[in-house]
Amino acid sequence: MTRNQDRVIAVENIVSVGFDLASFSAIMVLMVTGLGVIASMMGVFNFAHGEFLLLGAYTVYLTHSHGYPVWAGMVVAPFAVALVGLALERGVIRFFYAEPVVAMLGTYAIGLVIRESVRGLIGGLYHSVPDPLIGSFSLGAVQLSRWRCVIILVTAIVIAVFWFVLTRTGLGLTIRASLENPALARASGISTNRVYALTFAVGAGLAGLAGGLMVPIFSMFADLGVRFLIQGFLAVLLGGVGSFEGPALGAAVIGVLSAGLPWVLSPVLADVLVFVIAIVIVKFRPAGLLSTQRS
Amino acid sequence: MPPQRDFAPSTAPLTRRSLLTGAAWAAGAVALGRGSFVVPPAWGQSNPIKVGIATDLTGPIGFAGKANANVASMVASDINAKGGVLGRSLQLFIEDTASNESVAVNNVRKLIQRDRVDVVFGGITSSMRNAIKDVIVTRGKTLYIYPQLYEGQECTPYIFCTGPTPAQQCDEFIPWLIKNGGKRFALPSANYVWPKLLNQYARKVIQANGGEVVFEEYYPLDQVEYSATVNKIMTNNVNVVFNTVIPPGVGPFIKQLYEAGFTKRGGRLSCVYYDENTLNINAAHEFEGLASCLDYFRAIKDPFSAKLQADYDKLYPGTVLFTAGSAATGMYRGLKLWESAVNKAKKVDRDTVAAAFDRARIEEGPGGAAEMVPGKRHCKMNMYIAVAKNGNYEVVSQSKGLVDPKEC
Repeated sequence: MTRNQDRVIAVENIVSVGFDLASFSAIMVLMVTGLGVIASMMGVFNFAHGEFLLLGAYTVYLTHSHGYPVWAGMVVAPFAVALVGLALERGVIRFFYAEPVVAMLGTYAIGLVIRESVRGLIGGLYHSVPDPLIGSFSLGAVQLSRWRCVIILVTAIVIAVFWFVLTRTGLGLTIRASLENPALARASGISTNRVYALTFAVGAGLAGLAGGLMVPIFSMFADLGVRFLIQGFLAVLLGGVGSFEGPALGAAVIGVLSAGLPWVLSPVLADVLVFVIAIVIVKFRPAGLLSTQRS
Repeated sequence: MPPQRDFAPSTAPLTRRSLLTGAAWAAGAVALGRGSFVVPPAWGQSNPIKVGIATDLTGPIGFAGKANANVASMVASDINAKGGVLGRSLQLFIEDTASNESVAVNNVRKLIQRDRVDVVFGGITSSMRNAIKDVIVTRGKTLYIYPQLYEGQECTPYIFCTGPTPAQQCDEFIPWLIKNGGKRFALPSANYVWPKLLNQYARKVIQANGGEVVFEEYYPLDQVEYSATVNKIMTNNVNVVFNTVIPPGVGPFIKQLYEAGFTKRGGRLSCVYYDENTLNINAAHEFEGLASCLDYFRAIKDPFSAKLQADYDKLYPGTVLFTAGSAATGMYRGLKLWESAVNKAKKVDRDTVAAAFDRARIEEGPGGAAEMVPGKRHCKMNMYIAVAKNGNYEVVSQSKGLVDPKEC
């Protein structure tokens, strides 16, 4: 084998590793952004977030099993889950804002009810949901999954839209104001209640979108959200509460670590190491990766 | 007729009512646990033989536990309709082990101490068997029949295993894989006892048949991202993937393997727990050509199996299927072997029944006859190799006669 061929294979490997890391991180970012937004805004760690993800996936599964196209389900999923989120926020969660620990337990209970209900509805089994774009295309000798490309693209668009809304619009200003100083925001005539409801719905909708997009990859099952929830919390801790970019960056780091470490280490060890590394980082940057010492 | 206690979710289209009842049921199940229930003996019968069923009615493997309970109810009411065993009818005590060992130990204790059952069938995972066997066999002084395919090496007296062992799943299957795939094997596995011991045995058979193991690797049970593994399979020119990754990881793993072009280049995917329950995890084209080796497939055409399958489907339509991978076939075999043992022993006390069970044989069952290996407390049975075609199995090979479990 010539040196040139060696180099080609090395490049192919890098492309394929890079693509896999990017696609898994994109899924993590979509999932965590909603979680982070809710945690930052209301100080509530939403333990039902994994189940919002599950509801998004279930919406897509339902539309598919009733004979409608999968992409239609994916369009509906974020709105359906946002509505559920809105109802839960108005009906239950807003009473918990003063007590974050109770809120955690409360959302945990909500999550449990959703998860077990879905388990009952799908018979506790695994169901495949087809990709709207089937198969893969080749880039040189590397096979890239079409659907994973779409997920990377959608994540990029969502992040861009969020960034634009938050930093360039009046609505974004209102949200940031309620986030940074709720008392002053209220004094300035902003209805923080309404902002909270909106934020919660949007956070839930994002989870719904993430769930809808990922269900073709991971298949439909009741515990879909559980693993992502734990990694999601780690990402929020890592990125830091209080900003939009922090958790997203934390999610990207966790995604890269958990998809990347198994390439070089025994997978069981890698699984643990992701948490160890994250905890070490949090130890040295307790306010998060992007902490700007906001007071 | 068995009482209609079917908890299987219906396949009817989702209506508001079914959604609400489903949700209410699930919420209730979460709050209270579905608990136990008793299938009473026929009217007017006193002094029934008490049969305990301890299985995972709820939790992640609830679909398998429900199938086990269904099979037990079906077999018991069939036996009762034909006059029972020794003229006494069977009374089933069904307890939920809830996919949770500490809950299970308590519930199984109820079977032993409160209900004083004569025999216990059940347990699906090995960790569950290990958790409840002491309660049943050592302290409970009761006979225990374990129905699931498993990693072998359970040699405790008074425990009889009626599901396939590694020898039964590998001895004929691995030579077939080498012939119909190639010599270079990869063993990607979930990190727990079943894959470890199965791989140990499989590796011996692979090497004895001139194959080689390119890598054997273990993953956390909930890992869902397998790009590193798939890359290793593709770059090392693996011919056969002998998979023991379990759900939820197995779906994304098979999908990624398909997208990387493993089957397109002639690779053979295999997985020995794959049955009719796992057909929906992936789209049909993603696991086309997957080979499995079990004691029963729906595709088997012998008249008795076909009738059994039809009877089950009639009694329990819906998503809780009668399959080999969920221990339903082992449960059937166990119950019928036990029935024949009790009939021969003429008594129900543990030692007499165990001695008769040791030589029990049934002529008919799912997949054919079955026979205990004397002194080994494991069961000889027919084994079948099936390959996935368009989302269903096609049986491509059948063992010549009953296969030895080679245990104990």
